[in-house]
Amino acid sequence: MTSNVLKLTDMSIQFGGLKAIDSLGLEVNKGEIVAIIGPNGAGKTTAFNCITGIYRPTSGNIEYMGKSIIKNDPEEITKSGIARTFQNIRLFKNLSVFENVLIAVHLRYNDNIFTSALRLNHRQEKDMREEVKRLLESQDLYKYRNDIASSLPYGIQRRLEIARALATKPTLLLLDEPAAGMNPQETQELTSYIKKIRDEFGLTILLIEHHMDLVMDISERIYVIDFGKLIANGNPSEIQNNPKVIEAYLGVEENA
Amino acid sequence: MKNINFKSRMNIDLLIYLAIIVVSAVILVFLDMNKFEYNYSISIIEKSLVYAVVALSMNIVTGFTGLFSLGQAGFMALGAYTTAILTIPAAARPNVYYMNGILPALENAVVPIPIALILGGVVAAAFALIIGIPVLKLKSDYLAIATLGFSEIIRAVIASPMMDKITNGSYGLKSIPGFKSSLECFAFSLVCIILMILIINSSTGRDFKAVREDEIAARSVGINIFKTKQLSFIVSSFFTGVGGGLLAMFMRSIDSKTFQITLTYDILLIVVLGGIGSITGSIVGAFFVTAGKEILRFFDEPLVVAGVEIPLFKPGFRMVIFSILLMVVVLFFRKGLLGGKELSINGLKKFSRKKDEVSVGGVA
Repeated sequence: MTSNVLKLTDMSIQFGGLKAIDSLGLEVNKGEIVAIIGPNGAGKTTAFNCITGIYRPTSGNIEYMGKSIIKNDPEEITKSGIARTFQNIRLFKNLSVFENVLIAVHLRYNDNIFTSALRLNHRQEKDMREEVKRLLESQDLYKYRNDIASSLPYGIQRRLEIARALATKPTLLLLDEPAAGMNPQETQELTSYIKKIRDEFGLTILLIEHHMDLVMDISERIYVIDFGKLIANGNPSEIQNNPKVIEAYLGVEENA
Repeated sequence: MKNINFKSRMNIDLLIYLAIIVVSAVILVFLDMNKFEYNYSISIIEKSLVYAVVALSMNIVTGFTGLFSLGQAGFMALGAYTTAILTIPAAARPNVYYMNGILPALENAVVPIPIALILGGVVAAAFALIIGIPVLKLKSDYLAIATLGFSEIIRAVIASPMMDKITNGSYGLKSIPGFKSSLECFAFSLVCIILMILIINSSTGRDFKAVREDEIAARSVGINIFKTKQLSFIVSSFFTGVGGGLLAMFMRSIDSKTFQITLTYDILLIVVLGGIGSITGSIVGAFFVTAGKEILRFFDEPLVVAGVEIPLFKPGFRMVIFSILLMVVVLFFRKGLLGGKELSINGLKKFSRKKDEVSVGGVA
């Protein structure tokens, strides 16, 4: 039972009078791809923000690898092995593709201002750059290395954001709507891409997504949230036939 | 193959920069040798160099870390007073502190100039460490107001009668040893500028830029934004303090009025004009603004054309012209003269190549 990478128990968060998430329980096992779905405003991204420490839950617990991370700051959580992407891409817009990824490998190297300014860390700096180069090559982004991030096409920006998350060497990767704004063909490519990086980097993936093709194709288990409450969980076929889910998405059938 | 090319290109750039430094040094030696003839130019160059140091240090915090701080004058005052108090010759001290006397402990506290400058920086950095804790939690405008307030408090404390025996209160300090030659000023400024460039281009500097670009994204890749901001603020204040010390040496006499808010605005002007987030911009901007104010001086003198005196040419008119020039720059180069980019040999090459491509494209 210790194969839990992430475990949320009875997690709630309240903003003023609004209970954005109401006692959510969720488990992600090692190597799994798990999806969170639900209508707009259901609290999916809020859940991500709680897991990554941007918000602090009002009650309940979040355990990562058996340890509570509820009091940790976002940077500590990243260091412990949880990386994420954002719904509306957050890159370092005016920096190059190479720098974007390079900044993400900093956390695994010990640098201080004296060693870095006086170039006493040049060997380390070389290792960092070598590592970034390899990562960019493996993600097919190396040809863009000198381009400014904001100048890239949308799809490439998405991939760069994932590459940047990978550069922190995570165990658990959180993807917030990775297919947002993509056409069916791009979504298809993304589906196989996510599976590929899971296997290549030995990741566990938790994702939020609206594209049902992608969700049904990729995830081993699905959690459905509506109005901050968990309304269903199970494997894709169970979810597809769950009346509560259909109700949340399509509304209740009105009988005369 | 490509790597080797890249490296050799870097080396060529480095050589060119070295050449520029050597040529500047030679010109300064020449000016120094003919001191009487070029006294005016020398003082403009020295002032520009000092301002370049302070502007670049402000750029670290404003341009590279995205923190709008207006405490420059305060940190300069700390550095300037520390340097001055520690370098005024012991023999001259009774004369300087003739009104209120001097603290006995300071009577003979004289240290070599480089050490005094570094200590000036350290004092400024120590204050930055302390006030940074509450102040850096503020965002944009609020941070600017808080640092501006800090700067005024420092100035008021320096001028207060309580500090008479240390800062000589409102009488100010004089007999500060100046630069022995403009080359000395050049050397001190150059060391500061090179150190700052090394910091900006290091992994620490990259963290600064990450915080500037997107704080939430920076945290998501494991950067502690508060510590990074604090570090940037301290580094910037250190070099501002050293710059203040250099200013004290340039001016040879200082008082609390030297470090009014207008001084911060002068520096801000250089940073904005040169380009926020551009190293070379700050340096070029420092020379542009300092020299510009002086070169335009002929507008202040009466001008007679064909026996008629042109009415506008009166003292103060140069500042009008200067302000108009500024507006032109801000209107047409909204991001400053260099707009976040760097002036480099490579950049110039690329620029000319791009032009070629465009013209070739036009023909085809």
